[in-house]
Amino acid sequence: MLQFVIAGLVLGGIYAIASAGLVITYTSSGILNFAFGAMAFVIARLYYYLHTQQTWSIPAAAAVSILIAAPALGVILYAILFRHLRLSSPLTKVVATIGLSVALPSLATLIFGSAAIQQAPGLAPEPVKVFHFLSVPVTLDQVIVYISVLVIVVAGALVLKFSDVGLKVRAMVDSTAMTDLSGTNPTAISIGVWAVSTFLAGLTGVLAAPIIGLDAINFTLLVAASFAAVIAAKLRSLPIAVGVGLLMGVATSLIQRYLPPASAWTSEVIDAVPFIVIAVVLLYNLVRGGRVGETEGWGGALDRAIMPQGESKLAASTSTVVDTASLNFFGRYAGPLALVAIAVALPLVVGGFWVGLTSQAFAFAVIFLSWTLVTGEGGMLWLCQVTFAGVGALTTAEFVNHLGWPVLAGVVVGGVVAMGLGALIGFLSIRLGDLYVALVTLTFGLLIENLVFTLPTFVNQGLGVTLNRPGFASSDVSFAYLCLAAFVVVSLFIVNLRRSTTGLALNAARWSEAGARTSGISVVQMKVLAGATAAFIAGVGGGLLAVSQSTIVPSEFATFAGIVWFASLVTIGIRSTAAALVAGLAFVMLPALCQAYLPTWTANVLPVIFGMGAISAAKYPDGILAEQSRRLRQLLRRVAPDSLADDHFAEEIEAGVTETEAVGVAPGVAGGTT
Amino acid sequence: MATATDGGVSGAAGGATDSVALSADGVTVRFGGLTALSDVSLDVRRGSIVGLVGPNGAGKSTLLAVLSGLLSPTEGTVRLLGDDVTATSARHRATRGLARTFQQPELFMGLTVREHLVLAYRARVSPHRMWRDMLDPRALFRTSTGETDKVDGLLDLLHLTHVAKAPVAALPLGVIRLVEVGRALASEPRVLLLDEPLSGLDLHGSENLVTVFREIVEQSDDGLSLVIVEHDVAAVLALSDSVVVLDFGERIAVGTPEEVRRNPAVRAAYLGDAEPPTRMTKEKAAGTTAPGAPVGGDEA
Repeated sequence: MLQFVIAGLVLGGIYAIASAGLVITYTSSGILNFAFGAMAFVIARLYYYLHTQQTWSIPAAAAVSILIAAPALGVILYAILFRHLRLSSPLTKVVATIGLSVALPSLATLIFGSAAIQQAPGLAPEPVKVFHFLSVPVTLDQVIVYISVLVIVVAGALVLKFSDVGLKVRAMVDSTAMTDLSGTNPTAISIGVWAVSTFLAGLTGVLAAPIIGLDAINFTLLVAASFAAVIAAKLRSLPIAVGVGLLMGVATSLIQRYLPPASAWTSEVIDAVPFIVIAVVLLYNLVRGGRVGETEGWGGALDRAIMPQGESKLAASTSTVVDTASLNFFGRYAGPLALVAIAVALPLVVGGFWVGLTSQAFAFAVIFLSWTLVTGEGGMLWLCQVTFAGVGALTTAEFVNHLGWPVLAGVVVGGVVAMGLGALIGFLSIRLGDLYVALVTLTFGLLIENLVFTLPTFVNQGLGVTLNRPGFASSDVSFAYLCLAAFVVVSLFIVNLRRSTTGLALNAARWSEAGARTSGISVVQMKVLAGATAAFIAGVGGGLLAVSQSTIVPSEFATFAGIVWFASLVTIGIRSTAAALVAGLAFVMLPALCQAYLPTWTANVLPVIFGMGAISAAKYPDGILAEQSRRLRQLLRRVAPDSLADDHFAEEIEAGVTETEAVGVAPGVAGGTT
Repeated sequence: MATATDGGVSGAAGGATDSVALSADGVTVRFGGLTALSDVSLDVRRGSIVGLVGPNGAGKSTLLAVLSGLLSPTEGTVRLLGDDVTATSARHRATRGLARTFQQPELFMGLTVREHLVLAYRARVSPHRMWRDMLDPRALFRTSTGETDKVDGLLDLLHLTHVAKAPVAALPLGVIRLVEVGRALASEPRVLLLDEPLSGLDLHGSENLVTVFREIVEQSDDGLSLVIVEHDVAAVLALSDSVVVLDFGERIAVGTPEEVRRNPAVRAAYLGDAEPPTRMTKEKAAGTTAPGAPVGGDEA
């Protein structure tokens, strides 16, 4: 028993350090750092490079990587990214850190090489010394973890509670604006907080590397597990986060004592422990009617007052709303129609291998439309669309292969099953708040990935499940057009939804929950509707993707693969259906083009680009396609002023300003909201 | 408890419930150790205008939040059209005929002015369209005569016709306030709660809007009632049938504007030693006193 507890405290200690870093960052900046695992990986990889590959001594390598490079990474990221997120919505912050979590590991791979490293050294010299505590063997690496946790908890508590620096940090948590007005430089404090946060990430990485190896996915998984402790701490309580982190490690270890050691199911249950903890905590919060109160809990009244109203929601800047409304028919639809025309021509223009890729790209575009609806229109961050796509694909295969249903009927049923899951997830998470929606959907994805996608019937010894195309679309070209037709239908559905009463109500729920509720609109119902419908779309897209590939390998629908999908869509544009088409083509075609015509290392550049694109959501929430379209329109307006403008709109705005005087708006307040 | 028999407010809940549109009885709200409202009661009679005034921090917006369902009281009950709605949601109350505006406008930045009004109307009159229309492309063009008349009438009443198709994101704050009032009225409310609706409007605008409020109450077939929270005390006294005064979360006075103006407790706690504002006729509402002008030293 004691042996399991001591062993569990190691994993628990690593969870605790990661949780502490996440809580410190969230309470001081309002950013739930999804890139914490990626940061840990980068620093651990640097330590490995210095110590193992460059044969530096352990103290020198540790000092440079953990004490110098890690804090420097935090300072640099603050300077180029996080300082711009201060007034952004929680979702924009999360999207930016998701982009970072995609970009950083790929950047590290470009710098350090892509060789898989299963055995990584810790901070203890080799051979690792073993002590015996109450007859239980304890390695020096484990002792270092215990000491690290102890030092971090005690030092953190003392500094925050009793030091001048701690006082300033706590003041900034309450109100950055008031801290600034009081003569304390909030920038300096923020830089310090980020330096500490990335130091903790680096320490987590170096301590965890001997246990989980140097694999970016494992690091992100480790930090995703640490979210359980952070959620239990309601994102803010350092002692609870550390305590729950330690307990999770011990619980994971104790489970091993009572489950058959050789069983694959044991391994899956162990991996699922943190996510089961998350589910339990969320259900508890749901029953209690709790809500994390993301923005409400961070910053004072002055901070909220200076937050630009129009910029406080993800992916729908008010400037874009106004810009789009000012366009005439040609200005609005010329671009999307041209894109569809290109898509129609594509299967006929390209040949052989590329035609098959085109149909996959169109299927991906359908999946991406699910985010266009749920995130672009609904303002919610769902991180399990890839899971819904996987559910859709596997359900399609089940109904077609075992029940003999027609393929297209199977695809629709796959969408319906995904929709049911989406409705359930939405119902459980939406009333808790936007940040919880992101965390719940991430957890749900990892749970399904661990417990369902690994079932032998789906894995089939690594071969996956086969699925034949329908007879009327058996060729690559005809199936590509079938996928394109599905994309067009779903796009038209979304376009119709936007302007329908449903779309108006969804828009209301996104922009102002209080305004919507007091207008008789159910925010939860509207958002669940959006989430469930998006899940249906993702399920259908997953079914089409599976049919286009003729084989379903469940590992292709891994949650973290979905995060890269999401990053690629955010890069192009989250609100536009045309952007979903471009993102689908880019996501499938660009890697193939790199492999076919460019040096192989260029394939690693694409995730960096997609990750950086998602990061840029902080500045361009509508994506680069919308931004470039806007610039093109500006250019066209200069060349031909009347070519794009909606004359009626110009009159409306002008009238609005004139009416300002007519209705008696006081001078000085007619500043608009942009 | 004080009772204004000839006004829109009585001091306690109960009485002639069929004539009471909205009532609060013994409402107390505590945030941890802070008592924001303490045993506050009021009745809003049908077809009346009730002014709710008090210094900053008096609890006016908290009371509006309790009445509208955005905040649950620690103690006390809220009744809407005779039914106990204390435990019901803001949405439920909205569907029962309660509408409100906000001190900080809560508009939907992706929608146009007209869409705000259309949505509010449909949410009240044909809520099923929020589910059904997503699957029916023809619904985009399906507008009832009642909807068109209602929305166009409100746009005209509030001088918003010329900006009907403009997204609210492009409009100045003062117009945005009018849109919020329009949205609330489009939901065909029985009771309308207005949180500082004159803020951001100049003299002319305040005068226009006060006239609109008076007209919509007088012309309402269903006996529309208004509860108005406003810092422009002179305008409130001129507009309201009765006034409730809050201070530090407690109701310190209730009655007709003239009674409140003369109330020693109000003079002491709210107006200070200064003379109360010159009595204004309803026709002169907001026309003789600059909006936002303090009526006592405390207010400044």
